[in-house]
Amino acid sequence: MKIMSLRKQTPSDFLKQIIGRPVVVKLNSGVDYRGVLACLDGYMNIAVEQTEEYVNGQLKNKYGDAFLRGNNVLYISTQKRKM
Amino acid sequence: MFSKSGPAVPELVDKCIGSRIHIVMKNDKEIVGTLLGFDDFVNMVLEDVTEFEITPEGRRITKLDQILLNGNNITMLIPGGEGPEV
Repeated sequence: MKIMSLRKQTPSDFLKQIIGRPVVVKLNSGVDYRGVLACLDGYMNIAVEQTEEYVNGQLKNKYGDAFLRGNNVLYISTQKRKM
Repeated sequence: MFSKSGPAVPELVDKCIGSRIHIVMKNDKEIVGTLLGFDDFVNMVLEDVTEFEITPEGRRITKLDQILLNGNNITMLIPGGEGPEV
């Protein structure tokens, strides 16, 4: 899923803004990953640090670094309350 | 032959920016939030989002802040919708 030309800048703006922030990434499978967003690209491929993996709301694993392939990503959410 | 068509889908989605929108996904999941923006692929940026998993118990997960929702799994958009009744 390549984001090439944009009608509104907002998805690519959002992606630039959230690097370095704590995020929640949910995959199509329903598995949840929480960590600090290291980097990502227009395909929604993601690199996350200090990652925790939640399955059915339960913490299952922790990874120092995780790479998530974009085709699996359902959404990327920032965690902290917006100012 | 096609007669003159009405507004295109992106134009209609554009009208929803700033309002609440209810999004039905492919897999028994629904999202309600305020639409901040989208792109040509209808990936959507939303805020004050509530995520619903449609199960017999009607599970709900409320999230704050902003999300980027992958347009790949979107089935239907309902402007001004409040989501499923729980």
